Amino acid sequence: MAANYWESTQRRNWQYTREQLADLRKKLEEEEPKLVQMYPLPQLRHMSIYFNQQIARLGKRLGVRQQAIATAQMYIRRFYTKVEVRRTNPYLVIAAAVYLACKMEECPHHIRLLVAEGRTLWPDFFSSDTSKLGECEFFLISKMSSQMIIHQPYRSLTSLQSIFSLTQEESALAWSIINDHYMTDMPLLFAPHIVAVTAILLSIVLRPNTTGLQSASGSAGNMANAAHQALRSVSQAKSGNGGAQSAADAKVVRFQEWLAESDIDIEAVVDCTQEVISFYEVQEQYNEKPCKEQINRFVKARGLDK
Amino acid sequence: MYPTRRNPPFYNPTDRGIAPNVGYQSKVRGIDRYNVIGFISSGTYGRVYKAVSQYSEPGEFAIKKFKPDKEGEQIQYTGISQSAVREMALCSELSHPNIIRLQEIILEDKCIFMVFEYAEHDLLQIIHHHTQPTRHPIPASAIKSIMFQLLNGCQYLHSSWVLHRDLKPANIMVTSSGSVRIGDLGLARLFNKPLLSMFSGDKVVVTIWYRAPELLLGSRHYTPAIDLWAIGCIFAELLSLRPIFKGEEAKMDSKKAVPFQRNQMQKIVEIMGMPTRERWPLLSTMPENAQLSTLSAKPGSSLEKWYYGTVNSGIGGQGGISSLGAEGYKLLSGLLEYDPEKRLTAQQALVHPFFSTGEKVSNNCFEGVKLEYPHRRVSQDDNDIRTGSLPGTKRSGLPDDSRPSKRMKE
Repeated sequence: MAANYWESTQRRNWQYTREQLADLRKKLEEEEPKLVQMYPLPQLRHMSIYFNQQIARLGKRLGVRQQAIATAQMYIRRFYTKVEVRRTNPYLVIAAAVYLACKMEECPHHIRLLVAEGRTLWPDFFSSDTSKLGECEFFLISKMSSQMIIHQPYRSLTSLQSIFSLTQEESALAWSIINDHYMTDMPLLFAPHIVAVTAILLSIVLRPNTTGLQSASGSAGNMANAAHQALRSVSQAKSGNGGAQSAADAKVVRFQEWLAESDIDIEAVVDCTQEVISFYEVQEQYNEKPCKEQINRFVKARGLDK
Repeated sequence: MYPTRRNPPFYNPTDRGIAPNVGYQSKVRGIDRYNVIGFISSGTYGRVYKAVSQYSEPGEFAIKKFKPDKEGEQIQYTGISQSAVREMALCSELSHPNIIRLQEIILEDKCIFMVFEYAEHDLLQIIHHHTQPTRHPIPASAIKSIMFQLLNGCQYLHSSWVLHRDLKPANIMVTSSGSVRIGDLGLARLFNKPLLSMFSGDKVVVTIWYRAPELLLGSRHYTPAIDLWAIGCIFAELLSLRPIFKGEEAKMDSKKAVPFQRNQMQKIVEIMGMPTRERWPLLSTMPENAQLSTLSAKPGSSLEKWYYGTVNSGIGGQGGISSLGAEGYKLLSGLLEYDPEKRLTAQQALVHPFFSTGEKVSNNCFEGVKLEYPHRRVSQDDNDIRTGSLPGTKRSGLPDDSRPSKRMKE
C-alpha cells in the first residue's frame, strides 16, 4: 500500500539486517577486485557524509525541500547496495537521485537545470550532456526495481510531537536528528517510526530548551551522555518501573509509559539509539579531503566524468 | 524473517551498468520474453500492445510502452516523465482486486515497458456496445456490480492516500470474468504529504466531462472528493449511455493561463441547478466563483427528473433499469453533490442502501447477463514493440466520438 509502511515495498524489499548489508557490499567488492585494489576509499560512513554534503549543496542551489532530499538520499543508499561505487560517477548518481526524487515528491525540476547546477558545482566531473543524467536516472530506477515510494520518519514525528507536547526546540532537534540519520545505514536498518521515536527520545532527554539548542551534530560527547540516559529510560520502560527523579523528567516519564504501552519494538529503539551515538562520534573524525580526493581520483582515472 | 528478495526478471547481475560510454543494457532482453499479438491503443504517454508470454507464464498481457523522446532519428535518454514515474512507483506498491495488476516493469533500450494483466473490456467499450445498433440499457445487475467494484477500488486508493484524478469510462477496465479494474494511474498521486499545494503540480486534471465543480471553479485544495464526482458522472453514463455533462473544453490561451471552463460548468448547472451558498458554504471562496453569474440555470436541481426520465424510459424499450429505484437516485445525487465536503466518500458510498436493497451484488458484473460483449480490437498495423513508431495512430477499438483529449500537458 502506498501509504502503509507495513505493506510497502520498503518494508518488504529494502530493510536489511546489518549482516545482510555487509554481505551485499562484500559481494559487490568481490566482483571488482581490481578496482577495489586500485582505488582504495575512506570508510563508508565518511563517504556517506561526503555524499550528503554534496546532495545538500545541490539541494540548496535548487531550493529543494528536505523531504525530497531525504528521498534522494534513500535512492542513493539503495542504489549502492546494488552497484559498486567505483563503477559509477557519484556526482552523476547524486544529481540523478535528486532529479528523480523531485519528481516523486511532486516538486519537479527540468533536467537541463539539474545538469546546469551539476556543472556549476562539479565542473570537472559533470558532463553537460543531459542524456548522461537521463541514462543514470534510468539505471537508478532499474536498480531500485521501480520501487520509488519512500516512507520517512518525518510523518511519524509530526503526528507524535503533539502526544509528547514537544517544544519547538525539541521538535527542531528531533527533526535534525532525522535529517542526520540519512547519512548512515539506519534508513536501511530501521522502520521509519523507530527512527522517529528514537529522535524524539533523544530530543527530550537533551532538553534543548534548558541547555540551549545545540546542533545535533554538535558535540558527540553530549549526545552520547544523553543517549545513554535515554537507553536507561527505555530499559526502565521495558521493565515497567518508571521512576522520575524530578518534575523536569515528566516528559521522559510520559515517553517511557507511552513506549511501554505501545507495540513498538523497544530493542530496535535501543539499537537505533546506539547507531545515532556512534554516528555522531564518527562525524567528529570526518575529514572531507580524503573522501573528495579519492572519489575524484577514480572518476577521472576511469573516465566516468565523460 | 525477511522475505526472499526476488530480483526482477530483467535484472542481470553481469550487466556492467554505466561504465563509460556504454549504454545501460541487460544481457537478456526482458521484452523478448513476450510475444506481441497486436496494437491496442496510443496516447500522449506512448502505446499499448497486447502480448502473451513466450514461456510458461499463463495469461495475456497489456504492455504499455512509454514514448521515448527522439532527437532526430536517435532515441535519447531525456529523463523520464513525471507521469511515468508516478505510475511506476504507485503500481509497484498497490495491490487490490479492483486495481489493474502490474506484472513487471522492464527498462531497456532507453524504453520503459509496463506489463499489466490484460483486460478484455473497458467501460467505454461496454457503454458503446449498448448504443448499437439501437440503444438498450446496461442490465441493472451489471450497473450495480460495476459501481460497487469501482467504488471498492477507489476506496482502496483513497485509503492508501492515492488520488486517481483521471477516472473515466476508458480508464475502467473489465476482465472477461466481469471483474472491474481501475487502470491508468499516470495522473494519480499521493496526497498524504504534499510538498506544494496540490494545485501547483499539474494545472489541469481529470478529463473535462468528469471534472468536479470545485476544480472547474479553480479550487487549490482539492481532495479525494474529485474522484467521487467522476464516479458519479460514470454512474450517470452507465444509466443513460451518454456523458451526463458533455461540455466543450476551452483551450488554454497563448499565455498558458488556464481558462474558466464556462461551457462545462454550464452543462452541470443545467441539470444540477446553480450552486448556492446554502448548499455549498465555501462556494464564495472558489477563485472562479464570480464566473457563475455569467451562467444561466433554472433554480434548483433537476437531477431527480433526469434520473427517473432515464431509468424509466428503458431507452429503446426492453430490459428496463427502473428496478434501480429510489436508492439509485439517492446514490447518484450523493456522488454529484456540489459541496466536496458533503459529497459521499468511497467508504460511505459502499455502504449505501443502493447496494443492500434488491438482489445481491455480484463481483462478476456479467453474471446473469445474456449479452456477449465484443472483444477488444487488436490491430495488426503495428506489432513491432521494439521500434514501433507509426505516427499518430489512434486507439484502434472505437470510433472517436469526439471525446476530449485526455489531459493537458503537465
